[in-house]
Amino acid sequence: MSTQTLQHSAPPKFGAPVLEASGVVMRFGGLTAVNNVNLTVREGEIMGLIGPNGAGKTTFFNCLTGMYKPTEGEVKFQGAVLPPKPRAVVKAGMARTFQNIRLFGNMTALENVMVGRYCRTNALAFTSIIRGPKYHREEAESRRIAQELLDFVGLGHTSEHLARNLPYGDQRRLEIARALATDPKLILLDEPTAGMNPKETEQAKDLIFRIRDKGLAVVVIEHDMRFIFSLCDRVHCLVRGETLIEGSPHEVQSDHRVIEAYIGQPDEDEEELVAEAHAHDHEPAATTPAAPASPAVDLTKEDRA
Amino acid sequence: MTTSPAVPRTKTSVNNPRPSPQWWLALAGAVLLIASAFLSWCYVPALLGDLSIDAFPGGLQILMIIVAVLAIFFLVLRSGRMPSMDTLLDSAKALKALSATAVAFMVLVAIVIALQAPGLANANPGLFVGIVGAALMLAGSWQMASDPLVDPITVRLPGWVEILVIVVMMAIILFGAAYALGQEDGTVFCLFLVFLGGVVAALARGGLFSWISVIAARHRQVLMMGALAVAFLFPFTQNGSDANMSIATQVLIFATTALGLNIVVGLAGLLDLGYIAFLGAGAYVSAMMSHSAFAHIGWKPPFIVVVIIGAIVSSILGLIIGSPTLRVSGDYLAIVTLAFGEIFRLTVNNLDGNNGPRLTNGPNGIPGIPDLEIGAFNFGDTHTVLGIPLGRFANYYFLMLVVAGFIILVFTRLNNSRIGRGWVAIREDEKAAEAMGVNTFGLKLFAFAGGAFLAGMAGTIKAHQDVSVTPDQYIFLESAFLLAAIVLGGMGSVAGVLVGATVLKLLPEKLRFVADYRLLIFGLLLVVMMRFRPEGLVPSRRRALEFHADDQELADRVEEVHLEIAADPDTAEAKA
Repeated sequence: MSTQTLQHSAPPKFGAPVLEASGVVMRFGGLTAVNNVNLTVREGEIMGLIGPNGAGKTTFFNCLTGMYKPTEGEVKFQGAVLPPKPRAVVKAGMARTFQNIRLFGNMTALENVMVGRYCRTNALAFTSIIRGPKYHREEAESRRIAQELLDFVGLGHTSEHLARNLPYGDQRRLEIARALATDPKLILLDEPTAGMNPKETEQAKDLIFRIRDKGLAVVVIEHDMRFIFSLCDRVHCLVRGETLIEGSPHEVQSDHRVIEAYIGQPDEDEEELVAEAHAHDHEPAATTPAAPASPAVDLTKEDRA
Repeated sequence: MTTSPAVPRTKTSVNNPRPSPQWWLALAGAVLLIASAFLSWCYVPALLGDLSIDAFPGGLQILMIIVAVLAIFFLVLRSGRMPSMDTLLDSAKALKALSATAVAFMVLVAIVIALQAPGLANANPGLFVGIVGAALMLAGSWQMASDPLVDPITVRLPGWVEILVIVVMMAIILFGAAYALGQEDGTVFCLFLVFLGGVVAALARGGLFSWISVIAARHRQVLMMGALAVAFLFPFTQNGSDANMSIATQVLIFATTALGLNIVVGLAGLLDLGYIAFLGAGAYVSAMMSHSAFAHIGWKPPFIVVVIIGAIVSSILGLIIGSPTLRVSGDYLAIVTLAFGEIFRLTVNNLDGNNGPRLTNGPNGIPGIPDLEIGAFNFGDTHTVLGIPLGRFANYYFLMLVVAGFIILVFTRLNNSRIGRGWVAIREDEKAAEAMGVNTFGLKLFAFAGGAFLAGMAGTIKAHQDVSVTPDQYIFLESAFLLAAIVLGGMGSVAGVLVGATVLKLLPEKLRFVADYRLLIFGLLLVVMMRFRPEGLVPSRRRALEFHADDQELADRVEEVHLEIAADPDTAEAKA
């Protein structure tokens, strides 16, 4: 597989590997959703994960973040094998967003982000009831960090608004802020620009660069090729649960198999229509930057790949 | 009064300068209603607390004076004398509701007289004057048009006025509670409820409550202190009457237990159908360690130790039940807790020495539990404070008040903390909460065991107050009532649960004649509530939102209140 050779071509500016997934297999009964996928993400790297609908990208995400226990293979984070428990994964320093926004709608934006602080704070019941100076300090600290993160993603002015009242694009950014609140080393973004207009997409790109500049590694699932190729340092392409190619955007972009499998469908319009018709069973058909059908689809609370 | 500059004050011109004929009609009706209260309504003195005296309004007649005075107040508002108040309250809606209440009340009185006197021949002219007055009020207010209102959030009174409003409200609640409990006659109590319901509805429709809730949110601490003061002062209004204090203590125990359950149901969102078993566990522990002649444990530690042991035993039971079931989703928990409640009842029914260790005396329970004695203070004695005798029940009432205060403190502090945020996140989207690092299982288990802990605490006191502990006090029906109190009052809201518990416990005590049908009535009540107000009578804002996911107006409104409170330097300071 080309993976081996291409990894050497990774620019040396990236640090040690943060995430090493090796031989990950995920089977649901007879269906193999993810088959023997290897992925290495280094410090300060933006890794793109692409693939047609149903390629197993979100399933792979779920394996990485402990929502699924991989049938085979292991996921190492900073050298240690991750336990298959979302909470432990977050605690270790890996946070994610969801393809269909899963904010806590009836909480304010600030409270949403403060929930992200949960695993980095430790006020227990007794402390919360007695409320000594330590509790107040921790609470104020959470509040301050949450507000800073809201400012960071550009939502500082909406901190007291209910999450469900925010515009769609802001909800996506709020989800990122909430994930950042867990102090991650690596953040996994599942279609961060789905349903966004070109301007918002541009802002999202800028935001991801700024997250990278904070020293975080980023993994992005996206269907918007222009977005992916202008954003990522490396791109990993999945097709039917298997790795097709991994390499620099240029390498992936020019690979004929990728074009065949994903980009260069003989009749793109028809493909899109079919994808849209199946949008409720599969991922939103966000092959174009602004897919108007996506917001509605994203609100369905199902998590499939 | 200061209103924000954005609010136009031109509205008063709609009603000015000259009141309409309807206005005069309604005013005449209100005056007639007051006049009728000074006349005799009925020849039979024994009926409805004696309405037979001329020129001396008593009992029910005073209620009608209150309605009429409120109506006149709203009529004055309508005439445009108090422009700033007028934009805040919807006088037309309030007047309609008040008039309807008056008509319903007078007609009911007439029906009662016709049935019980018996015969309408026993009615005096005062009754008919009252009916005519009420009807005139209704006729006058029927066609009145509502005016646009300003948002109460934008209205700011001087701080002391707002606090005064809260104090007055608390005083009315104290007086009303004492009055209601003082009504021995079931029919009079029913009529009082009609009056109360009508006036509350009128004030709610008139917008008074939304204004008061804004004020209350601004002065939370004053509100809390006021409520505490009312609860504390209540026994002093009873003048040593044991009958009423007994009911009040029962209500308080029930409310306290419901508050504990509200942490489990309202905050963590777990359906617990066996909560009464935790209360029972505490009560049995307390009974066994009480030196009752029928207790088989000879050890009697200081009461505070008993309370802690009872609470710990309860919470251990909670852990045992919760740890295997909380990993799966809600329905399983409901079934398991239901079964647990039954297991508890059957177990204490059987630990009589024949089937197991001799601990609970089986169905006979443990009677003869002595009164509590903390230091030199015996809870069985009557103590006189400021010349007012406070009997046995008042003593327990005060003790339960302390426990209730403790549970409310735990409730509110947990709600506004890291743990509370975790609970809300779990309720909203458990998977997302887990993926954000929230320890969902631990938090649910904590809520479950913590709720059991508080119930165990309350149980240890209940055992002494009840004198005996038997298995049939801790049956499923009691758990269902606790849950009903929460659903009726409003999940996740302290005030709501207090209201719900009071309604559910007080009504059967006062309305003995419907005791046989109380399950039917509560069932209907719950069905009606689920249809028209699923979030409960006094819901927490967040819960109301959860029940009305599509209601954008409500969401905007909640957000507005939130922004206002966040922007307010006083409350923001209090929050920090």
